[in-house]
Amino acid sequence: MLTYILRRVFQSVLVLLVVGLVAFAMFRFVGDPVDTMLGQERTMQDIERLRESLGLNKPFFVQYWDFLVRAVQGDLGISYRQGRPVAEIIAERLPATLELAAVSGVFALTFGIVFGIFTAIRRKGLAANAIMTLSLIGVSLPTFLIGILLIYVFAVELSVLPSFGRGEVTDLGGWSTGFLTRSGLIALILPSITLGLYQMTLIMRLVRSEMLEVLRADYIRFARARGLKTRVIHFRHALKNTLVPVITVTGLQLGSIIAFAIITETVFQWPGVGLLFINAIQFVDIPVMAAYLMLISVMFVGINLIVDLLYVAIDPRLRA
Amino acid sequence: MKKTLLTTVALLLALPATAETFRWASTTDPQTMDPHAVSSAPVLGFLNNVYEGLVRRGPDMSIEPSLATAWEPIGEGEGWRFTLREGVTFHDGADFTAEDVVFSYERASSEESDVSSWFAPVSEVVMVDDYTVDIMTSSPQPLFPDSIANWMMMDAGWAEDNGAARPSRDTENFATRNVNGTGPFVLASRQPDLETVLTPFEGWWGEADHGITEAIFTPIQNSATAVAALLSGEVDMIEPVPVQDAERVDANDGTRVIRGIESRVIMLGFPHDRETLRSGAPNPFTDPAVRQAVAHAVNVPAILQTIMRGSAEPASQLVAAGTSGYSEVHDARPEYDPELARSLLAEAGYPDGFEFDLSCTNDRYLNDESVCQAIVSMLAQVGMTATLDAMPVSNYWPELRADNFDMFLLGWSPGTFDAEHPIRFLVHTAGDRLGTWNFGGYSSPRIDELLPVMQSELDPEARQAAMDEAAGIIQEDVVYVPLYVQPLLWGVRDGVEVTQRPDNFFILRWVRMD
Repeated sequence: MLTYILRRVFQSVLVLLVVGLVAFAMFRFVGDPVDTMLGQERTMQDIERLRESLGLNKPFFVQYWDFLVRAVQGDLGISYRQGRPVAEIIAERLPATLELAAVSGVFALTFGIVFGIFTAIRRKGLAANAIMTLSLIGVSLPTFLIGILLIYVFAVELSVLPSFGRGEVTDLGGWSTGFLTRSGLIALILPSITLGLYQMTLIMRLVRSEMLEVLRADYIRFARARGLKTRVIHFRHALKNTLVPVITVTGLQLGSIIAFAIITETVFQWPGVGLLFINAIQFVDIPVMAAYLMLISVMFVGINLIVDLLYVAIDPRLRA
Repeated sequence: MKKTLLTTVALLLALPATAETFRWASTTDPQTMDPHAVSSAPVLGFLNNVYEGLVRRGPDMSIEPSLATAWEPIGEGEGWRFTLREGVTFHDGADFTAEDVVFSYERASSEESDVSSWFAPVSEVVMVDDYTVDIMTSSPQPLFPDSIANWMMMDAGWAEDNGAARPSRDTENFATRNVNGTGPFVLASRQPDLETVLTPFEGWWGEADHGITEAIFTPIQNSATAVAALLSGEVDMIEPVPVQDAERVDANDGTRVIRGIESRVIMLGFPHDRETLRSGAPNPFTDPAVRQAVAHAVNVPAILQTIMRGSAEPASQLVAAGTSGYSEVHDARPEYDPELARSLLAEAGYPDGFEFDLSCTNDRYLNDESVCQAIVSMLAQVGMTATLDAMPVSNYWPELRADNFDMFLLGWSPGTFDAEHPIRFLVHTAGDRLGTWNFGGYSSPRIDELLPVMQSELDPEARQAAMDEAAGIIQEDVVYVPLYVQPLLWGVRDGVEVTQRPDNFFILRWVRMD
């Protein structure tokens, strides 16, 4: 058991290190930050001096090593664009992303399960077929298009929801939340739908197919034979057995919701870490890009590790 | 009925901007509030609303008094004497005096400053009395007052007390997020990248007739989102409006587009000093006839008509008409004439044309990639087969610096609003301080001789003669092929009047609201 855990942790750290190495190897292709940092009237000496002081003349693995050495000491560097510590900027931006991810996660889960059950029970119904068809559109349309579409309908044409931003936020000891104000809450609606739509359809299809499978099982037939109410059969016996794989998938999807937030945040000018990352790419703000990529990979690897360890807890065969 | 209900709900929810609050959005957040730390248009443009210089620019870019009421040359070009405005206070109440000018000079010309090149000709700044300052120069500088319109005055005491006596570029200091200027607006709050709020400065020396009580700036990177925010009434003004959305903003009830011309000239550049192209083939662009053929092969009016939708103006030289030092005698640009282009190529020894790469940005200038695509197909018609190599601007400059191009697209906005500026950076023989953007390696001894004349000649006519001669050489040698002057497209809601300036600075005090 202990060796298994240790092995998984070791593997996770290895994955993180490789992700970092690949990221640093790629930064050279993103461009040169020096040009965006210096004005039109810079001299060639200015360019050289800045490159030298930023350590850009070093090979990328040396830059990566410097980054790692500082990162383990809790220093993520200084943003090229804002001149502020990266850790501070990320801490400032993370609440926006996490709140958006949480709301879209809840949205995806709630509607995914409800629609999934509905389409499984009323398999032949008109409404169920309509939902299935619409979900296909939801899966196939790119996120930014859905976002723009929602903005066009609800902000421009109907003027009922804001087209950008987080509304008014309240500061709770370093955590800025949009949950406490009216404008903060309505600002969450469109971005959450945009971000959660894909996950919602995914969960819906999963629930539907699991449910159809379970409904064919012997114990459900037996329950019917016993004359139990349909509602009880569907929701107590069938649904419970459907949820195990759903929970696993949802856990794993949480990471991708946070990672995919980049596009949604850009469309809605949502001030989270995804938008920060896009800005960083445009400006070639290497410290911010590095910190963001490491943060996301830590999150992915962490969630996977927890899921792996949970399997051990659930499945006795793995403990041998 | 339903419609009325919806509209009522909409009115209740849409948070209509009240007459006093002005909201505007632009693509870029000014990365610092320090006027000497970063010399970029978003920073300097924004800070022109809170800080002020000795002189400032009017809507037509002409120099007018600001913190200095008068200025006159000292002796035969030994320097300039500035008489300061009396009774001016900083936002924190401190008086503005000559001491602050000397301090601002030391700060802005220090090694940590990004604007120190403005002070290259300055030898000394002397405080004569509390309201008189002499700025001594090592050579005659007839246009010095024009070159310091963005040199903003900071309070010596405030900066020193807060540990911001020097600008800080790599880390934050107090002046990065706090402001103490003399300008018409005070920084009320600032969250970098999110929102910056300005309020009028009660103690401003000038006449404030904008009627704004609060101005909120939000950066919106995605232009489609910005347009939606304008159309839905969440912001009062956006800049820029994408060219392809301009008609829509105009057609929409309650919004319109304000069109103008930026001082930025878009041009094509060539490798002048290289033997070969990237492919290893001999470099045909060393022959002026080939460059002339390019000039005749590109149909600029068609580009403006289709890609710019009629918003831009053709350019004949490296600065736009109306810029000081613009050469009226060289006002004509090469006609679109594919036949002539073909015969020029044939005479130059390329009757069957040749192949090369056209390097181009795809995120720097308005519709840059589309413009380059159009140029590729126009050049193909006369036999020059170009392969488009479009890339983000952050990759672009390193490529150009590394001489990795066959032909390139470049936009240039003269910081001093004078024709000397592009000659200094784009045409003068490349060196450490001069010709720093002369990627093609063009070199003309006569241009190098003319540049000091443009910089130091006190007699306006002799200076203009030098300008005319330089413009003539550049046209004759086809050092660059100037294409057009980039348009300015701002979107505003009805009831808002804004004034555009060719440097694309947004001056808040010129806003008028009902």
